[in-house]
Amino acid sequence: MNDTTPTSELRPRQGMDYNEIADVQEVHAAVQREKREPRVGREPLSIWLIVVYGLAVFFGGAYLGRFSGNFSGDALDPYAGEMPTIKKVTGPQGAQQAAELSPFERGKKVFAANCQTCHQANGEGVPGQYPPLAGSEFTTGGSKRMAMLVLKGLQGPVKVKGQQYGTAVMQPWDKTLTDKQLADVITYERSDWGNKASPVTPEQIAALRKELANHPNSYTEPELLAVPDEDLPGGAAGAPPAGEAAKGGEPPKP
Amino acid sequence: MIDASTRVPVLVFYTSAIAWLIIGTILAGLVSFKLHSPDLLSGVSFLTWGRLRPAHMNIMVYGWASMAGIGTAIWIMARLCRTVLRYPLLLVAGSGFWNLGVLLGAGAILFGDSTGYQWLEFPRYAAIILFVAYSVVASWAVLMFRHRRGEQIYITQWYLLGALLWFPWLYAAGQLMLFVVPVEGVLQSAVAWWYANNLLFLWFGAIGLGVAYYMIPKVIGRPVYSYHLATIGFWTYALFSSWTGMTRLVDGPFPAWMITASIAATILTLIPVATVGLNHHMTMQGYFPLLRYSPTLRFTVFGAMSYTVFSVVGIIISLRSVARYVNFTQVSIGYSHLGLYAFFTMVIFGSMYYIVPRLVGREWRYATLIKLHFWASAYGIGLMILMLLAGGFLQGADMQNPSLPFSESVETVLPYLRGRSLAGVLLAAAHFIFAYHFGLMLLGLGRQSTVPTFLNPVEAEESEPH
Amino acid sequence: MKGLAPLFLGIFGTFAFSWVGLTVIPNWQIGHLNPQSDEEGTDVYPQPQSGMAIRGARLYAANGCVYCHSQQVRPEYIANDIERNWGSRRSAPRDYIFQRPVFLGNMRMGPDLANVGARAPQEQKISASGGGSGSSPGSGQPGSTRVQAQSGPASTAAASPATAGAGSPAATKPAATPAPQTSPSQGPPAVAGGAAQASSPTASPAPWPIRTEGLPPMYSAAWHHVHLYSPRLINPDSNMPAYRFLYEKRRIVGERSEDALQLAAPDAPPEGWEIVPSYDAKCLVAYLMSLNQSHPLKEVRVGAPAAAAAASPAPGGQLPR
Repeated sequence: MNDTTPTSELRPRQGMDYNEIADVQEVHAAVQREKREPRVGREPLSIWLIVVYGLAVFFGGAYLGRFSGNFSGDALDPYAGEMPTIKKVTGPQGAQQAAELSPFERGKKVFAANCQTCHQANGEGVPGQYPPLAGSEFTTGGSKRMAMLVLKGLQGPVKVKGQQYGTAVMQPWDKTLTDKQLADVITYERSDWGNKASPVTPEQIAALRKELANHPNSYTEPELLAVPDEDLPGGAAGAPPAGEAAKGGEPPKP
Repeated sequence: MIDASTRVPVLVFYTSAIAWLIIGTILAGLVSFKLHSPDLLSGVSFLTWGRLRPAHMNIMVYGWASMAGIGTAIWIMARLCRTVLRYPLLLVAGSGFWNLGVLLGAGAILFGDSTGYQWLEFPRYAAIILFVAYSVVASWAVLMFRHRRGEQIYITQWYLLGALLWFPWLYAAGQLMLFVVPVEGVLQSAVAWWYANNLLFLWFGAIGLGVAYYMIPKVIGRPVYSYHLATIGFWTYALFSSWTGMTRLVDGPFPAWMITASIAATILTLIPVATVGLNHHMTMQGYFPLLRYSPTLRFTVFGAMSYTVFSVVGIIISLRSVARYVNFTQVSIGYSHLGLYAFFTMVIFGSMYYIVPRLVGREWRYATLIKLHFWASAYGIGLMILMLLAGGFLQGADMQNPSLPFSESVETVLPYLRGRSLAGVLLAAAHFIFAYHFGLMLLGLGRQSTVPTFLNPVEAEESEPH
Repeated sequence: MKGLAPLFLGIFGTFAFSWVGLTVIPNWQIGHLNPQSDEEGTDVYPQPQSGMAIRGARLYAANGCVYCHSQQVRPEYIANDIERNWGSRRSAPRDYIFQRPVFLGNMRMGPDLANVGARAPQEQKISASGGGSGSSPGSGQPGSTRVQAQSGPASTAAASPATAGAGSPAATKPAATPAPQTSPSQGPPAVAGGAAQASSPTASPAPWPIRTEGLPPMYSAAWHHVHLYSPRLINPDSNMPAYRFLYEKRRIVGERSEDALQLAAPDAPPEGWEIVPSYDAKCLVAYLMSLNQSHPLKEVRVGAPAAAAAASPAPGGQLPR
């Protein structure tokens, strides 16, 4: 409460003086215009407010329960269960709502994420630097040479479609991609851009991996050309499920 | 008189705060204009946008808002503790250090020493000074509290005591975990946003709410509607608001539970928002006509209503389905300004209009200037937030559309940024008017009168406001 | 409320609750992550930043880049960051363990930068896991500064460190000439106004109507320098500030220096003068070139790297849009 000592001339003053006139009248007026210091009433809570509380607690709690990913430190995604793989919530893409993709489509994605930088999305490569994949001897020939060089990499000069390449080096992919990814991407590369070559299965890749386990280094062109230009052994015929029918079903090359 | 005893410290804080407000406003103008006209004054290192923006933010947060808040808090604490302010020199010293800290920090940012953490850009040498300054102020507050008279601790005091304690703990925790014993990796961002968010709620929000709880009942002369509402409001506010920090990082590289917890907490802040809003509304019930007359009431009620809007907007934009559109857009800026300006700054303006006459013994000289200030601020911030929220949402929609190149989103938001600059001009006008008016008061040029300055002439009534 | 004690306890308690919950517990969960390595221990990701990149990070902070650029890639089910080729996968906590400060950012007036180093032309990529030397690839010549033979898509392991800076451009000289921008084969990606083929073979075509002729390959170090010096030379619609104070103008003494910026009118310096980056500028660019999160992480599912799947079936290269 404001105190009411009016005779201010006699009291010692703190701080600077703003030319105040210690006028009884003025001080009284200042006091009079003040209302009481605030105090609190005691109204009870309204039932509607409790309803609001309940709703807030319900929704907040439900949200917390549903999207916490089990409170684990590893769960970066809010869904505790299986992640929706290709869920496009905003939906402008539309086309990829399918849960199961064909090897061609999977391979295309692997290609886009890994190979496209050099070989370009149209498979034409870069003149003088990165060989093309469209119509190349490796992609349209037997799958073995191609799989070998994708797995282990290639360095040194190489001639593709009559052009000489050799300034760049292709890295090995055996450690980065899984058998399935390798099979998918090789299958894709062998069936896009006008290529119509035999597909490749993950089992074939796995077998090749084992075979090449003792060959740590990248291949060179002479080494590759020394290998017969044939497909990998193992069921290439009908193996990819519903596979290359995605882009018009090329029959596997014998 | 208690008021007289508070005069020097509070006026020192207010004067510093208003000076920082003007400097910050000029910087804000530059920041806003440079965003859509980037070649304006470009090429000068200390005027580059990336330095002006944090300098503006820090000056407003630590220079204007904190100091004005502390000034008001000092005065209200003295009143509510019903005791004369002791140790005023402590506070003056505190303010001096604080000013030094802000000056050093802002200079450091402009000349290339920012730390890169939002709201914690002051380098260590400035941060330490701020911390020292604050400890001085806080120790004063504790001392005052111990000397208080009266049994009941009024609502405002809960909020103010909370704020005065939370701020140093927050600041210390932030500095410790980011600079002294730094956490690793993305946790730095988590800690930084925990700090920034809690600064907004536990320091500024608490002061703002506490001051509103004092000013509204005081000016209209009625008790606050309900004690129980106030209690629930306070504790749920403290409990839930402090968890909402991660909503600025939705879908970021964090364990999902952290983000979800923040979103859930934001939903739960519906409880304190509804509670406090209802409390204030019922207190004002029947007294809304008084808004015609009392500047304090106008600013304070505007601020209190803005608090509701601010919280609702916060809930909406933190939900994941909305966040994916508004993340990384100007909506975030609009939201911050809703809280810091439309809510906190307006409440503080109201409190300054109330307190300053009691310190200098004069009334505000020109009612017109007060009216201009109010309307320029109100329209200014209203326009600004509208521009930022609308523009930001459109920007986000464009960003989410992968068939549009990214620069489309920037193109879309540019006209809204220009609108925001216009709003900034209004706000700048408001601040210059206010600073001028305040300067008049400081120089003793206010009206000498026993009747406070009303915004409109008062007809004869029994219950006079103010 | 009566009594100071319960008030104080409550104030302290609510604060402690949020502090423990949002900082201490997460610190316990993800505060001590190790980099990931494969069985042989050769492919370690991520690697600590080195040398100039660390200083560059401080410059990034000091100049406020974080207030317009983010560095976090959001997952594909919630946003289109990956569609825009800002990354091949979402960001994870492990990507940032060696960064201080971390610039996740929460504003995008400019594109996300988490993988801006990964978008560099092949020869200039600093391998994310081979330990980039971090030395300045700040050469003015496009596509040069490549030394080592290996240059597979450096987004994954085995690429050896690109010890750039020595600049032996022999192998890549043919590609080095700023290519003319016509590239009819590239078709129009869904972009108005003629995307142009960038000069370097592996650099991506321009994402939006930006200029590439007469300029270094996009996202190469030299390009970054030009972009920092004069953003509107490259993208007239950009509202990024020009950081000219990071560059020096000086007379050409003898031959043009290797670092000199390749600028075009109207920003090109007058005859006999050149613009060179200061050491700070080189550090900043080194930092930008080190930003690369394309290395796969076991904990992040690469569900559908839908890069470039949108818009056109065969756009040339990856479009960072």
